[in-house]
Amino acid sequence: MERIVLHGRGAIGGVAEGIAMVSRETIQGWSGVDDKTGIVIEKGHPFEGMSIKGGVLVLSGGKGSNGWSCHFHAARVGGIGPAALIFPKMDSRTGVAAVVTGVPTVTDLEEDPFEIIRTGDLVRVDGDRGIIEIIRE
Amino acid sequence: MNLTDREKRMLDGSEGLLKQKAMENVVSYANVLGAEKLCVVTKAHLFCGSHPYMNALNSDDIDEVMSEMHFCSSEKVVLDKIECYAQSDVAPMCPFNWKEMGVSEKEHENNVNYLKRYLDAGVQLVGSCVPYLLGFIPLMGEHYVTSESHAVLMMNSLWGACGQADGLEAGFWSAVCGRTPLWGLHLMNNRKGTHIFDMECPTETVYDWDLLGYTIGRKTPTHSIPVLRKGFQRPDVTKLKSAYASMATTGGPEMCHIVGITPEARTLEEALGGTESQEIITITEKDIEESLGMLNEGGREKLDYISMGCPHYTIEQMMMAADFLKGRKINPDTILHVWTAAPIKETANRCGYTQAIENAGGVVLTSSCPLTSEKKPEGAVTMAFDSGKQAHYIKPGSGARVWYGSMEDCLKSAVSGYWEGR
Repeated sequence: MERIVLHGRGAIGGVAEGIAMVSRETIQGWSGVDDKTGIVIEKGHPFEGMSIKGGVLVLSGGKGSNGWSCHFHAARVGGIGPAALIFPKMDSRTGVAAVVTGVPTVTDLEEDPFEIIRTGDLVRVDGDRGIIEIIRE
Repeated sequence: MNLTDREKRMLDGSEGLLKQKAMENVVSYANVLGAEKLCVVTKAHLFCGSHPYMNALNSDDIDEVMSEMHFCSSEKVVLDKIECYAQSDVAPMCPFNWKEMGVSEKEHENNVNYLKRYLDAGVQLVGSCVPYLLGFIPLMGEHYVTSESHAVLMMNSLWGACGQADGLEAGFWSAVCGRTPLWGLHLMNNRKGTHIFDMECPTETVYDWDLLGYTIGRKTPTHSIPVLRKGFQRPDVTKLKSAYASMATTGGPEMCHIVGITPEARTLEEALGGTESQEIITITEKDIEESLGMLNEGGREKLDYISMGCPHYTIEQMMMAADFLKGRKINPDTILHVWTAAPIKETANRCGYTQAIENAGGVVLTSSCPLTSEKKPEGAVTMAFDSGKQAHYIKPGSGARVWYGSMEDCLKSAVSGYWEGR
């Protein structure tokens, strides 16, 4: 088993594990995630057709509507939200999304997560200590 | 976090539960961002109404829904007072012509009940995505919040006001406690351009600027601040309204300097603030064609529905649409909706523009749009828009087939019933 540890700043506390969904291309703020199913509906997005439920989202930031956060909020309320969030750098859209989703969130990473974390990796996010652990069999 | 005594009182509950919940969220948001202080917000533009995302809670209790969806609180808080001046953004329907949108009586009543709550709390029910045309005008250095992405670009870039693409919830927090984190574009040093754009493409019409904004949004990296340097004709507010709306659809910019036009970019040096730009990007006609291909199905087909006025039309655009339609009739099998803001519609009524559009067979609506309402006339499948923002966002969820062109393309198509653009 291989373990890789990344260091950043804990933004929202708590610890959670999930399967990583990694994309330098962020999800758009409207017509990006279906509120009712948690499935990414943005045309041509690498996650199109995948559900964010229980996943660890690794995204570069927000884009599109100021409504970015509300879709993650609605997904959380509907029980289909992500398990944890990782943003190499925070912005206003992702900042609000982290608060309203309330799941462990790590930001301001020392390393480039897009070079290290791969979609499908099992990832443990420690929002209290700002530590991300990638666990590979 | 350094909080003032007043902010500490709001946080400890001395000023009531509503302010406490709002302040808890703002402080949490500030911690997420890494902000050290808060700043005073003077204006809030809020996403009011029974919007579809609020159905996630599955409750008929308005206070319960607002507590969770606005304030992230499972404990019930009543939104009964706000701290700063506030206007409502679009609602999920037109308050008068809602039936034309495919909205049910029950949905309409529900929205009326929601809107009354915001009004009673002190929010003016302006109901538009163009607040900067309607008395919501933060000046240079003034801190505001808005739920409309292109309004952030307009108010930051065009008159130096300070706002961010915070999100719908953060708007309510700030309206209630009058504070937002002093971070990002609220600090003047963080507003310098990072990427230079040179244009080698048409920039004459509103349509040109709409496509240009869409293309810049696609090309500009996350967290960049574009600077439009050269190769464009001087824009006006209407062109920038469209350019910024489509830019904030495909990209994330919250600020976009235009050299010689916007106040923090009187020169290129001022826009860049003494640093080197990270990249120089040229927008060519080929890039614009690529954008058009993404937005427009193309080909002369029969259209069920044409929707114009995103962002909400200015009074000048209402006049242009009315002038075109005067003495013409819209194809009876095609529905034409023209969206604007209520105060603009009142002026359009007085000038006879509404009547000219209605005499032709079109409908003038306010306070919403197809993408935020998630509604379309019953049975409509083939539809056309004169806005990259609508055409882009409508696509994935609705099963619609989408055409996109200029105002003139859309109006000609409304008359013939077939797509007359490219």
